[in-house]
Amino acid sequence: MKTFSLNSVELLEYQPNRHPFLMIDYVTKVKPGVFAEGYKNLTNNEWYFPIHFPNNPNVPGVLQLEALAQMLTVAITTLPGNKGKITHALSHTVRFRKEVLPGQKFVLKTKVDSWKRGICKGYGQGIVDGEIACEATMTITIPEILEQYLPKNKA
Amino acid sequence: MSSDKYDKVFIDCFSIDKAKLKKNLEYNSIPAWDSVGHMAMIAALEEAFDIVFEMDDIIDFSSYKVGKEILKKYKVNIS
Repeated sequence: MKTFSLNSVELLEYQPNRHPFLMIDYVTKVKPGVFAEGYKNLTNNEWYFPIHFPNNPNVPGVLQLEALAQMLTVAITTLPGNKGKITHALSHTVRFRKEVLPGQKFVLKTKVDSWKRGICKGYGQGIVDGEIACEATMTITIPEILEQYLPKNKA
Repeated sequence: MSSDKYDKVFIDCFSIDKAKLKKNLEYNSIPAWDSVGHMAMIAALEEAFDIVFEMDDIIDFSSYKVGKEILKKYKVNIS
């Protein structure tokens, strides 16, 4: 499958989250079912900086993880038949390495380790100034697909 | 074939004792055998027995006991 990019408008077809919870500005490169990369430019106007924290603004870890999960989602929702489908998180394991600050470009790189029957396992890195700020192994699902494979009745 | 290999998949996937299997474990009868657990167990069985389940068989795989019957379709006979 071909590699392509998604601008901030095109992205909306593949990512159900919306401002201010959409944590991606641009998808620079996506190969459906394989990887998705892009970034979020962090301005001082981000809604969480005034409250996290008043004297030390930085991106909450949970939103860094959310950004990675959103990018991994794009790697799956760009597969044929998955456009516009809702995804849910199943389990994430994350390691935070450095603070992500206002004015920085938060680069997001994710890759799909497996995609089968509505479940995607993947890995992602959040990078600022060329250094890893966070990394995570993630499992997400498209419930609409997963549910098609579940037992309907008990034995 | 003895059930050891089959049992091990359930024991590993759901972190249960072998004794639980004797009561004919069913889908959703324990927290670990939920939707995600089901897919993990199916994938583990496919790897263990080098098979690929058809969609209908994944849906029908509703218990430990039923699973043994389904595996016969794939030439895996478990005593």
